[in-house]
Order: sequence, then C-alpha cells, then structure tokens
Amino acid sequence: MILTSANLVFIVTLTIMPFLLIGVIKKIKACFQNRVGPPVFQSLYNLVKLFNKDEILSKDCSWIFRSGPLISFSGMLLLCLSVPWLPLQPPVPGCDIFLFVYVLALIRFFSIISSIDAGSPFSSFAASREATLSFLAEPAFVLALVALGISAHSSDLALIFGQPIENNRIPLSVWFFSGLALFLSGIVELSRMPIDDPSTHLELTMVHEAMVIENSGPNLALVEWSYALKLLLFFGLIAQCFVYSLSKIIALPPLLLPLSVLVVMLALGCLTAMIESFSVKLSWGKNPDFIAYAVSMSLLSSLAAFAMNGGS
Amino acid sequence: MISIIEPKDEMELLPALKQWLQNDEHRLGLITSLDGKQLVTLLLDLASRQAKCWITEFAGDSYRSFTSSVPQAHWFERALFDMYGLLPKGHPRLKPALLNEAYSGIFAPLRSLAEHDEGKSYERDLSYMDVGGEGVYEVPVGPVHAGIIEPGHFRLSCMGERILNLEIRLGFLHRGVEKRLTEVPLTKTRFIAEAVASDTAAANAIASAQAIESLAGLVVPEKAVCLRALALEIERLSMHVCDLGGMAADLGCGAISAAFSRLRGSVFRLGELLSGSRFLRAYILPGGVARDADRYLAEFARTLKPLRKELNVVIDSFISDAMVLERLDGVGVLSPAFAKEFGLVGVAGRASAVSYDVRKVFQNKILPEPRIRFESAGDALSRTKIRVFEIGTSLDLIEQLLASLPSGPIAVAAPELLVPDSIAVGIVEAFRGELIHMISTDNKGRIKRYAVKDPSLNNWTGLAIAVRNNFLADFPVCNKSFGLSYSGHDL
Repeated sequence: MILTSANLVFIVTLTIMPFLLIGVIKKIKACFQNRVGPPVFQSLYNLVKLFNKDEILSKDCSWIFRSGPLISFSGMLLLCLSVPWLPLQPPVPGCDIFLFVYVLALIRFFSIISSIDAGSPFSSFAASREATLSFLAEPAFVLALVALGISAHSSDLALIFGQPIENNRIPLSVWFFSGLALFLSGIVELSRMPIDDPSTHLELTMVHEAMVIENSGPNLALVEWSYALKLLLFFGLIAQCFVYSLSKIIALPPLLLPLSVLVVMLALGCLTAMIESFSVKLSWGKNPDFIAYAVSMSLLSSLAAFAMNGGS
Repeated sequence: MISIIEPKDEMELLPALKQWLQNDEHRLGLITSLDGKQLVTLLLDLASRQAKCWITEFAGDSYRSFTSSVPQAHWFERALFDMYGLLPKGHPRLKPALLNEAYSGIFAPLRSLAEHDEGKSYERDLSYMDVGGEGVYEVPVGPVHAGIIEPGHFRLSCMGERILNLEIRLGFLHRGVEKRLTEVPLTKTRFIAEAVASDTAAANAIASAQAIESLAGLVVPEKAVCLRALALEIERLSMHVCDLGGMAADLGCGAISAAFSRLRGSVFRLGELLSGSRFLRAYILPGGVARDADRYLAEFARTLKPLRKELNVVIDSFISDAMVLERLDGVGVLSPAFAKEFGLVGVAGRASAVSYDVRKVFQNKILPEPRIRFESAGDALSRTKIRVFEIGTSLDLIEQLLASLPSGPIAVAAPELLVPDSIAVGIVEAFRGELIHMISTDNKGRIKRYAVKDPSLNNWTGLAIAVRNNFLADFPVCNKSFGLSYSGHDL
C-alpha cells in the first residue's frame, strides 16, 4: 500500500464520511419532526463514549459473542480499503466481486451467530429475521454487481468502478439499473425504512437493533462503527453507479468526479432520511414484495448487460 | 346514582346473571366484594338507566366460579382472589391479576386485619401457559420496556413469526388505591381518585364525585355539570390525539407523530385555561368544580379555533395514507362475538360492534348527546377510525358546551355526611371506555368499600385474543390500537 494522493483522499474521507452520513440522515429526520436533532458528528462522540465504557456480558455467552463485532469491523475495514467506493483506485488493489460478496456474507454469518450466542430471545429472532432478509436480498445485490462485471469484461471491482470516464465502457442502462438495485437492496442490507426502523424503541419490530441488543461498551462501539463503514461502502458504490450514469448524459470534468460522488452520497443520505420520515414500516409479510423490486431491477440490469454485450 | 340492592342466593346467582346478560340492554358492571364475606354483582340496565347490586352471602372463603359460563367474570374473579383471597371454585385458569411475584401468599390487601393475623396463606399459581409443539418458542417482553410506558409483562408464545398465544401479567403497579380511598377523609378522596390513572384524571374525578354526590344527596349546579363535561371532552381529545401520535410513531411515521405531539400541546393549553392544570388535576370536586373559567373563555375559544383545522390536516395525511391503511387493515382482529362475550367497552368495543357509550345512557340530561359510530371489522384500522371520529365529536361537543354555557354558581358546599348502608355508583365514559366508581357506606355513613373498575379491566382480555395469529412484529401495533392503562388496572 503506497501513500498516493488518491489513497490520502480515501483515508481522510474514510474517517469522516461514515459519521457525516449518519449525522446528515439524523439531522434531516429531526428537521421533519420540528426538532433540532443531535450534532452532525454525534455518532462519532458516541463511539468515543462507548469505547470508554465497561462491557456487560451475559454469563451464557462464549468467545463467539465477543469476537463477532471484531470480525465485522475488521471485515468492513478491509472492504473499505480494497473497494473503490470513491472513483479512485483503492489503497489495497485486486478486490474481486466475489471476494466482496463473500466477505460480506462472512461478516453476516458471524454477526448472526454472535447474536444467537447471547441467548436473548430478542437477538435470536432478530438473527433469524436478518438471515431471512439477507437470503432474499442477496440475489439482487449479487446480480447487480455481476451485470456491471459482464459489461466491464472483468470481475475486478477496481476495473468496474474507480475508472476514468474515458475508459468507462459500461452502458448507461446497466449503470442506472444496477444503481437502483443496489440502492433497494442496500435499504435491506443497511436495515433502513421501510424494512426496518432504526429509530424505533419497539424490540419486537426490530431487525438490526434487536440483533445487537446484548452488546454494550466497546463491543457495541465496534458494531456501530462497522455499521457506519457498511453505510459508506454501499452508498459509495450506489453513488458511483449514478454518477457514471450521469456522465453518460452530460460531460463531467474528470477532476469533479470524486467531489460529485461525495455529493451524491450525501444526497442519498437525504433521500434515505426523506423515506424514513414519510414512509410507513412495512408489515413483515410484505418485505419480500419490496425485495422483489430490487431483484427485478437487477434482472433488468443483467438483461441490459447481456444485450449490450452481444451488440458490441 | 344510588344503586338498588337485592339479596341473591348463591345457587341462583349464576343462572340469574346468565339470563340478565342475554338482554342486549343489560350489562355487567363489576363483580367485587365489600369485606370478603359476600359477592357484589353490579348490573347496569341501559334501558331504564338504573344500576342494581346483587349481594350474595356465602360461607367460608370460596364460591362457585362464573368464568366458564360468563367469560367476562374472568378478571373480576382473579382480582377478588388477589384482593381478598376468595377462591372461585372451578375457575379454569386462576392467575394473579393485580399482584405479582414480589408479594407473599399471605398478602391480600383488602382482607381485614383480624383475618390477616390468622396468617392464612394462598397458593398463587405464577406459571405461564405452556404452548407445546416443535419450534414453538417464548418471547418475554417487559415488565421494563424500552419506551416510556408503564410496567406489564407479556409472554408471547410464537411459531416462527406468528404469535400463537399471549399471556398478559400485570400488577406491577399495585398501590393500594382502593384501601387508601376508604381511609382518607372525604375532602381528600378526590386527589386519590384522580391518581387511579393520571391520564384519566378528569374522568376518575367525575366518577368519584358523582358517587359521593349521590350518597350525600347533592344536586350539582348546571354550570358545573357543563364545565365537567368540558373537562372530560378535553381529556378525551388530548388522549386520542396522543394515541394517534403513538400509533404513527409505532408505524415509523416520525414526522406525523411529531405533528400530533405538537397539537396535543394545544389541547393541554385548553385544559390549562379551563382548570388551571394541563392534566386537569384538582379541578373536579364533589359538589362542583374548583374554578370558574369565565375570564379565560375568550382565550379558550381563540386556542380552539385553529385546532380543528390543524388537526384535520394531520389526521387526513395520516389516515388517508395508503401505506398506513394497508398496515392497519386486518391487523389484530377481535370479532364482535368475542367483544360481546368479554364485555369490551370504549374504543375497542365500538370497533367490534359494541355500540355502548356511557354518554348515551347515564350522562346528565342537560348535556348535548354525542354522535356514536361503530365499526364491525374489529381490527386496528377500525379502532383508529373510531379514535379519529371521536376526536371530531369531542371538538363538536366542546364547541356546543362553550356556546351554551349556563350561568350560575360553579359548586355547592362539599358534603360532610353520606347516607348510611347504601351503595352508589359513578359511571363515566372515559376516553378508554366505561369507568365505574362504586362506594358502599357502613351504618355510620363512612366509606366502607371503594371499588374502581377501569375500562382496561374489560379490555385486556380483548388484546390477548386479538393478537393471536398475527405477526410478532405487529404486536406493538395491536397493543397501541387498544391503548390500555396499566395503572388503572393495577390499582
């Protein structure tokens, strides 16, 4: 890993952007509720606070419970350093689509078993919900990335994303539909409304929040930090899809590219906050219908990828 | 009103009660005891607007249970067991209703001290229903909850995401209210009566005042009657707005929930202008009301005027949202047959085709009659629709009362002596439904027994039935749509 200016941008935004995104979402939601809302970097202050707190452990839990958040965090950090979530080459090169998908799956596996390990009925049924939801949403997510890979003739994420505009051979329709599919499956993966309400206090309706209900102190801090990194990773990929779609319509100056991706990421945060303020959380039985939209977008994207590929 | 007292033989009681309930114009008010040696069954006749008490003496400390034939007796019998240690013979499922694990078997709060000193201990069955079958698991919720709500324990037996059975355990707020109400001087009674459930302060104070006034033979001035009705409607408005806001929050509509909170503030303002207290505390007293609101009425009307318009905007955007409708439709269904059998009251009753509203039957004739609406679907959507409708009727009633407020005194002198050896009841349509305060006096005119029946006591069973076969994740929506009180139940 060489410290180039691109890497420097990566690392600076990696430390600021996740907390900024969470802060922006919370601030906008607060505005719609006539509240002032927490400071934008409150989630960062919370991390500092949680790291200084003691940890309470159930006497029934094993090493799995302790190590789950650590595995999630290190996995997320690895992905953030190897996936081009900004249109620049990432510090760690050579991340493949399938590596990306499987590292995410590994993280999910450990977060699920560590929440079952805690032995609380809440975290157990939440783990079952998480497994069901991700099992349904994963095809959309994988297909959207594969469609991009087909168009780019490579499964290397660095050759799909993070390319200068003139090298970009992926057609507009594939970028756009993949972006939509990633956004919709991102709502599921990131436990946002209308699938899961991150601000509710009702344990029985939760997915992500109930899964980590037994975590406390530094353990919880790692969970929250890895969630913030996941948000960054997903929003980064989605924002690139939309920025590259836009660049097919209007000419964007190459230097403006990283900046516009950052702006689109914040815009996605605003969109999420709007959805969260005005939509109603879906009934559990309606969640597959919502995920079906994500899957159909990714199917459209794959069809477009095959059609355009056959033509060229 | 003073209740008619009729003695009834123990063997006749059950058939007589069954026959009484066959008439749609008849209701069971409450079942309790005066000192643990008899059963008092309060019956309401809606056609002749009368209350009567059947007094059934029995020997020993057990009686024949009604629950198997009259399901609505279920919680009354459980409460009797907790309060007096009276054992209903043949009760299908006798569990504590008002006391929890923390109390020893000797403790029965309303037994006399002499009996207590005998040290008789009662075996309390604190087990939960064991739902068998492969893959069935239990989720314990509470008594400490994540939100700012009162304590109650819900034991949910689930199969996957479906609720098979819900068992509700309350009694974490037992404060000895009924006992205390017999000990304090008459002038202090109203403060304790209000604290039975503080969100129902006005209704509790009115019911208490009505019962005391009947026993003292007082006639309340017309103006006080109207001011009390005004307080009651403000309370209903405030709590219905609060419950709708809570429902919006549970569905995840943060923005709409915030708007409801703001509007509830305006309703609190109405309460403050009328009574000097945002929660209508210390306003209603036996004989009348505590303060004349004449000089605040102009300000009251100014606050009221924009309220209806603003409420309509928020309610429309909530209740006409397709996602909200879809979310509430068919969730937590309580069939009209069950609602009738378990004697449901109030919003939950009217959403399941029980058209009973105390204001139609027992309220003072000088007051304007409200429009009543009922639904028959019995789901969370019907309960929400009834709440929305009642917000409208409460606003109408407030306007009507304000327009035709009589002049005159606001109170007569507080009573000092009560009629001896009588039973009187105060019945009020609180925002949750029928609220009954029953006072029985001894041969010197002192309060011997003060019984309170909160509407929640009728409705908790309804919730336990309504959540069956619903999604586990829908339990909060079902619970919120019933909107029941823990403290009103626990006494």
